[in-house]
Amino acid sequence: MPDLFLPRTEQEVSDFIFDNCNKSNPIEIIGNGSKKIGRIVQSSQTLSLKSISGILEYFPEELYIKVLPGTPIREIETTLKQKNQFFGFEPNDLGFLYDGQSNPGTIGGVVSCNLSGPGRFKNGALRDHVLGFKAVNGSGAKVKSGGTVVKNVTGYDLSKIISGAYGTLCAITEINLKVSPLPEFEETFLISGIDYDQAIEVFRKALDSSLEISGACFFPESNASFLTLNDVKKDTSVLGLRVQGPKPSVIERIQSLSKMFKDKSVSMLDTYQTAIFWREIKNFEGYSNSDDFVCKVSLPITNMINFLKYFEKTNFKYFLDWGGNIAWCSLENQNDLDQMRIFCLKHDGHLTVLRANDNFRKSEEFLTNSDANLKILSKKLKESFDPKGILNPNKMYAGI
Amino acid sequence: MPLKLPEADTSIIEDKKNIVQDLLKITKNIIHAEEEIKPYETDGLSVYRQKPIAVVLPETTEQVSKILKYCHQKKIKVVPRGAGTGLSGGSIPLADCILMGMGKFNKILETDFDNRCVVAQPCVANLAITQAVQHRDFYYAPDPSSQLACSIGGNVAENSGGVHSLKYGTTTNNLMGVEIVLMDGAILKLGGKHLDSEGYDLLGLVTGSEGLLGVVTEVTVRILKKPESVRAVLIGFDSIEDSGNCVADIIAKGIVPAGMEIMDKPLIIATDNYAKAGYPRDVEALLIVELDGTTSEVDTLIEKVLDIAKMNKASYNRASNSDEERMRFWKGRKAAFTACGVLAPDYICMDGSIPRNKLADVLSYISKLSKKYKLDVANCFHAGDGNLHPLIMFDSNDPVEMKKAEDFGADILKYCVKVGGVLSGEHGIGVEKRELMCEMFNDNDIQQQLNIKTAFDSENLLNPGKVFPILHRCAEGGRMHIHKGKDKFPNLPRF
Repeated sequence: MPDLFLPRTEQEVSDFIFDNCNKSNPIEIIGNGSKKIGRIVQSSQTLSLKSISGILEYFPEELYIKVLPGTPIREIETTLKQKNQFFGFEPNDLGFLYDGQSNPGTIGGVVSCNLSGPGRFKNGALRDHVLGFKAVNGSGAKVKSGGTVVKNVTGYDLSKIISGAYGTLCAITEINLKVSPLPEFEETFLISGIDYDQAIEVFRKALDSSLEISGACFFPESNASFLTLNDVKKDTSVLGLRVQGPKPSVIERIQSLSKMFKDKSVSMLDTYQTAIFWREIKNFEGYSNSDDFVCKVSLPITNMINFLKYFEKTNFKYFLDWGGNIAWCSLENQNDLDQMRIFCLKHDGHLTVLRANDNFRKSEEFLTNSDANLKILSKKLKESFDPKGILNPNKMYAGI
Repeated sequence: MPLKLPEADTSIIEDKKNIVQDLLKITKNIIHAEEEIKPYETDGLSVYRQKPIAVVLPETTEQVSKILKYCHQKKIKVVPRGAGTGLSGGSIPLADCILMGMGKFNKILETDFDNRCVVAQPCVANLAITQAVQHRDFYYAPDPSSQLACSIGGNVAENSGGVHSLKYGTTTNNLMGVEIVLMDGAILKLGGKHLDSEGYDLLGLVTGSEGLLGVVTEVTVRILKKPESVRAVLIGFDSIEDSGNCVADIIAKGIVPAGMEIMDKPLIIATDNYAKAGYPRDVEALLIVELDGTTSEVDTLIEKVLDIAKMNKASYNRASNSDEERMRFWKGRKAAFTACGVLAPDYICMDGSIPRNKLADVLSYISKLSKKYKLDVANCFHAGDGNLHPLIMFDSNDPVEMKKAEDFGADILKYCVKVGGVLSGEHGIGVEKRELMCEMFNDNDIQQQLNIKTAFDSENLLNPGKVFPILHRCAEGGRMHIHKGKDKFPNLPRF
């Protein structure tokens, strides 16, 4: 077992990394260790940031919050809710995938994975919400970038690259995030009994309208049991469109959807049910209690139809999210996973493995990236933060 | 006006003839006669001028790659340039550089409604993207004031915003992909028509990097459906403080308007004289709030905003009842820079971003500085996102006044940083604010950025002398992390 170090201050993080840099000791950086994502890191030291925790500043009218990396997501979300605000990127609770129960983890871990919930296509990704940060790089130097304001072109925008860097560039010690007002009201418009071709067409019509849809998912009949709500049919496919905003506007927009899709079998979820429906999707609750691979297939919408057609005979479960830009898939066979990855590469997309067994995580790549120039640049970028390659080595790619 | 740029390599300048000959083998589009180069010696920050060795105007990505590769091998500096409208001097040439004008990359390559995006070459004007898709009621959201002329590639370089970035974000939030050529000639595709690339977010890093990391040769941006209804309200106040409080209250009530702009009295008068926008002339501050969405939503929100305005002692209000009226409200604001051009021979426009609640504080400080420097100033302010644009008026023929204007601008930006803001919201650092970077960053922060620059451009040949301070280090010793008496990074290159 690697030694566990639990610093309480940025200075302790800096000293620890500095000493290990001198000794060229690899370090695994974790929050509370809730996310088993990425390749397995072989290290002699574990640096857990969970004790560097707390909300430093929260100005609701300035629409930002400044937090320490080990702050639990639950704590932050509770605080935001008291002021009728939330994170627009709707952080996924990956605990269901790995442990079969809720464990949303820390803000540092969430930022490091850059995963976003159902509203991503409208509200932006997690990386769009990171305004600034402080961190310690692989040499032990304390560095910062960005600020607390949304408009900022003062030096390179490093907030973007630390989002989704899986802790391979630096140990984050402070994060400023944009927050948004909670929608006053929300409802979900359901269409059942359609196939994926029709679903993509529904997405196109709804999202090409001015109705400001903020969630657009589709479950084929084969995966309809993913959802648990009694009011959602389990014996047929179901498509959901989320409408949020001031109540009169939501009602008006739902009426427009009813008119737009009057030839389809439609129903509604109220505000209470809407919250549950999208929470189950955001947290992949229907994929819990299984060891199957879970992966994210990201493609241009027009290529998503081809993907589903191509793998029609393959044994896998999926649902579409983000208006058809993404398919969250669950499958048993690694060969099928490899085939899907090849397809994505050829069709302007990528496949990311979210859940895999330890053997896979030790030896296989969980990202698709295959472009040689991109790999060279990624390695150089890693070295620019971490010249000795001691921070979460090999976690993103073998050799980086 | 002397501007300190990296020391010119005289051997490169002397070798001009051979360099031009070599480049002619890659493209015929080279301008090297002294008088023909003149239009390229400056950009939107026209107080600084410098001629390059030659201007090269490639037409294909392959040519860009070959030119950069050649310059990399010969250690020749390259300065990329889009439409040349940048306000921070990001594309001002160096005496020993090749200026790479991207003007021939001016075509929209694809309007893809199914994937809701447009693929364009970098020198397509920002507004041309909206024009290409508006027949189907789509538009491209970021709308800098210069959108008629500024290029989409330049928007990527500066992460340009506009009046609607509070709700719709800046370039970085609307950019899906780029093709970029690195200084060594490597061609990379970052992102594409899908969402969220894997691996390091190089697309995010390149956006706003001011042409220091690579040359953009293709851009994919997302397009949005036009809202069903858009209305604006004009709200007048007897004090700047009241207008600032009104903005904070609107946000606190959970309303995110499409745009919120404040102008101070000098600018209200100047823009109204210039554009005949019909603004109230007896108010100290004018707030324009634009709301969009479904018709009932917008109508409800307009009422809410007017209530909030009343609570904040608004002395005037008018809501637009037609699109023509709404456009008239904006006509003055959009002409702010031109209107100031009428008031004085020259102006410089600063671009700090501040927390919204510091607005009154910063504006009162600017007013004090105006008296101290004896220079007039007019203020417009993207109040929704805290981006301040003070316009300092002066006469560039008077060197003393010019120096005063620069010092005035620098003092404003230092104060912006002091109250928790940043040096630039959307114009970039360029050469203009380069030496002020130390107000925000210490040596460690800057060194990390320089290490990234080295990862992309090992010889520091692409657009050097921009963004990072070259006159001095940010802190001498004191702010560096010296651990147990040892410099932590003895082997790293220092700037």
